[in-house]
Amino acid sequence: MNAIEVNNISKHYGKVKALQNVSFSVGEGEIFGLIGPDGAGKTSMYRILCSLLLPNEGSASVCGYDVVSGMKEVRKRVGYMPGRFSLYQDLTVEENLKFFATLFNTTVEENYDSIKAIYSQIERFKTRRAGALSGGMKQKLALCCALVHKPQVLFLDEPTTGVDPVSRKEFWEILAHLKERNITIIASTPYIDEVQKCERVGFLSDGILKGVGTPDAILDTFKDIFNPPPIEHKQRDDTEKETENVIEVEHLVKAFGSFHAVDDISFTVKKGEIFGFLGANGAGKTTAMHMLTGLNQPTSGTGRVVGFDIRTQYEQIKQHIGYMSQKFSLYEDLTVAENIRLFAGIYGMQDDDIRHKTDDLLQRLKFSEHRNSLVSELPLGWKQKLAFSVSIFHNPGIVFLDEPTGGVDPATRRQFWELIYDAAERGITVFVTTHYMDEAEYCDRISIMVDGKIKALGTPDELKRKLKQPDMDHVFTYLARQAVRSSD
Amino acid sequence: MKQFISFVIKEAKHIIRDKRTMLMLFGMPTAMMLLFGFAITNDVRNVRTIIVMSNADYATQEVVDRLGASEYFTISKMVATPSEAEKAIQNQQADMAIVFPHDFASRRTGLQFIVDGADPNMAQQWSTYANAVITNPKGGVTNTKLLYNPQMKSTYNFVPAIMGMLLMLICAMMTSISIVREKEKGTMEVLLVSPTQPLMIIIAKVIPYLILAFLILIIILLMSVFLFGVPVQGSLFWIFSISTLYILLALSLGLLISNIAKTQLVALLMSAMVLLMPIIMLSGMVFPVESMPQILQYVSAVIPTRYYIIAMRKLMIMGVGIEQVLNETLILAGMLIVLLSLSLAMFKKRLE
Repeated sequence: MNAIEVNNISKHYGKVKALQNVSFSVGEGEIFGLIGPDGAGKTSMYRILCSLLLPNEGSASVCGYDVVSGMKEVRKRVGYMPGRFSLYQDLTVEENLKFFATLFNTTVEENYDSIKAIYSQIERFKTRRAGALSGGMKQKLALCCALVHKPQVLFLDEPTTGVDPVSRKEFWEILAHLKERNITIIASTPYIDEVQKCERVGFLSDGILKGVGTPDAILDTFKDIFNPPPIEHKQRDDTEKETENVIEVEHLVKAFGSFHAVDDISFTVKKGEIFGFLGANGAGKTTAMHMLTGLNQPTSGTGRVVGFDIRTQYEQIKQHIGYMSQKFSLYEDLTVAENIRLFAGIYGMQDDDIRHKTDDLLQRLKFSEHRNSLVSELPLGWKQKLAFSVSIFHNPGIVFLDEPTGGVDPATRRQFWELIYDAAERGITVFVTTHYMDEAEYCDRISIMVDGKIKALGTPDELKRKLKQPDMDHVFTYLARQAVRSSD
Repeated sequence: MKQFISFVIKEAKHIIRDKRTMLMLFGMPTAMMLLFGFAITNDVRNVRTIIVMSNADYATQEVVDRLGASEYFTISKMVATPSEAEKAIQNQQADMAIVFPHDFASRRTGLQFIVDGADPNMAQQWSTYANAVITNPKGGVTNTKLLYNPQMKSTYNFVPAIMGMLLMLICAMMTSISIVREKEKGTMEVLLVSPTQPLMIIIAKVIPYLILAFLILIIILLMSVFLFGVPVQGSLFWIFSISTLYILLALSLGLLISNIAKTQLVALLMSAMVLLMPIIMLSGMVFPVESMPQILQYVSAVIPTRYYIIAMRKLMIMGVGIEQVLNETLILAGMLIVLLSLSLAMFKKRLE
């Protein structure tokens, strides 16, 4: 008997068709990947299978029980991790776990075996509030909570988005472990390496199931989307000419009490360079970036960004940099043109100039017809492209990108990187953090932070050669696994 | 049962760990009681009064003395003509003037009050008080005896009103916000996908707020007795029973709001605007229901706070028995049944 049967499921919200005639089945003990871009209908599918949502048409069953009429039975047998972080932030790790155990009429002690492998990694933080954990830790705890009642089927809605590669690897090792206990797993992920760890995957796009098959078959069939051709980018040749440094940092330290979040880092970034700033969750990337952008004062050490001192001239720094983060990009309830107008105005550009450059920009992005659309109506990939363009609209000396491409498919990410190269060629220095190791390969130079220190610095090729690793993914994992400090 | 208890404990921890919630829960009742008790009062006291009299005979002088001796009036000036008095009122030097006719001693009538009518309610009260002081002891036609509140303290009136407002606000707002927060954070999805009865989730969420509401009720009662000297005349048992009824009603209203609201902000706005405004304006807490236009009286008839305030005023201040507030109790009970069944029927076991 199949653990999950889906027959011609359709779901629409008003006019929006979230799912159209989707059918597939998942065998018992299988790891099934449900993949597709943001807004493809994955979350609706999960909710229908968890009996949280009623389908408009079609039927589905989980463990042999219909998700509509057998709601109670289904809810006894499934574990569900919604996409959004679903723990109680103000309860401690232990309290969260105990609460979810009691919720399912069981105790932590009774099922300790089933969660031991994961829980042992976070047990030393058991008195810490869940809200104070790092991304990877939170995901592990959420998984513990979903597993504590020994579910037969586990639904994981993008469990590793925003989690560093090492934690992601550990997470999937745990899933492989669960398979041995015959738990059926349906998971979605934007990472190709994770897709390849599934036994079969279904590719969902615009609510239509485009194909089901082995990861390799699906990745091959839809290779335009998942495996776009690499971008042409000539490596910079810095040996010939001496260019000015946009960032110069020496012995920078940021301490919170006795804890050194950033522990004596020194590096330089040259003009027009694409500098990848990598590190596991909690390695100190964000803190370092805050100091460089003038949001935070260093405890000791010196630094200059676009020629200004980060200690004393942070107001000038803010005038001459661009910044884009995953969380804050654009105002959703303003139109495309209004957003551009607003941010250009904030940086003190002249009205004529703004009008001129807006037309230029929209034409270049082929956005002209969306000039007056609300940003909330645009797909995520478009928003990110627009946000990036807005962040360099005032021609800053350097632009800081904080995980700019979270949650979008490889094809869209590739288009995003074309924009980055474009900016770099125009002389704008790019300082970028990312958890995608294929993106790390796109950078001119990268640094990898571990425990607040820069453990490696150089071009991707140099690092691979020096550490004798086949690709960036291995380089990163090799270095990050040396971390002593827990990622918290 | 174990599930239920762990739910209640979890909810209690949320409340205790959020300092802002705690501050609001216990700071608001205390602040409101102190404000209404000491600052916001419409008691008549120290009204600056001008006496206009042309000849100072014995009878007139005696009345003026009596006015001056009362705590209500302070004689600020004696003038000869009414126009001088009017000028003084215009210059904000006095609140009212009392004009005695030259033959007051023999006629004992013909008094004129000139009152600053900027606040019509207060103006009305001043004249009434002045009238009472002037006519009362000797040869007055009327003899007013104030039952229950002989000193005419407004504290007596506002304590039940504050109870009605605060209990409604805290119960409805806090429960709706705490339920909507779980929706927003995504934890509600996990709770629903568990084998737990949705009804149990809701009841467990409500219990800590029920306990809090009782704590607040006790704080208000203690403050009113020991700080403001308002006597609690009626039986405590019935005061608490009717309050329980009212608290449950407020909780089901909160539940109803949480069914409709999708974000915490909406829940907050709904409970603040939809509940607070009508309660203050139309429940009879500030403005008497009887003096409202007919249509607003109809609206006020569906506001539960109105009946609760009436019942509490009767029970606490007048000290009557339960049979005198049977009507209000029945109305509240009826409303509770309707609201509770409505909110439970609307509670969704699934998402939309």
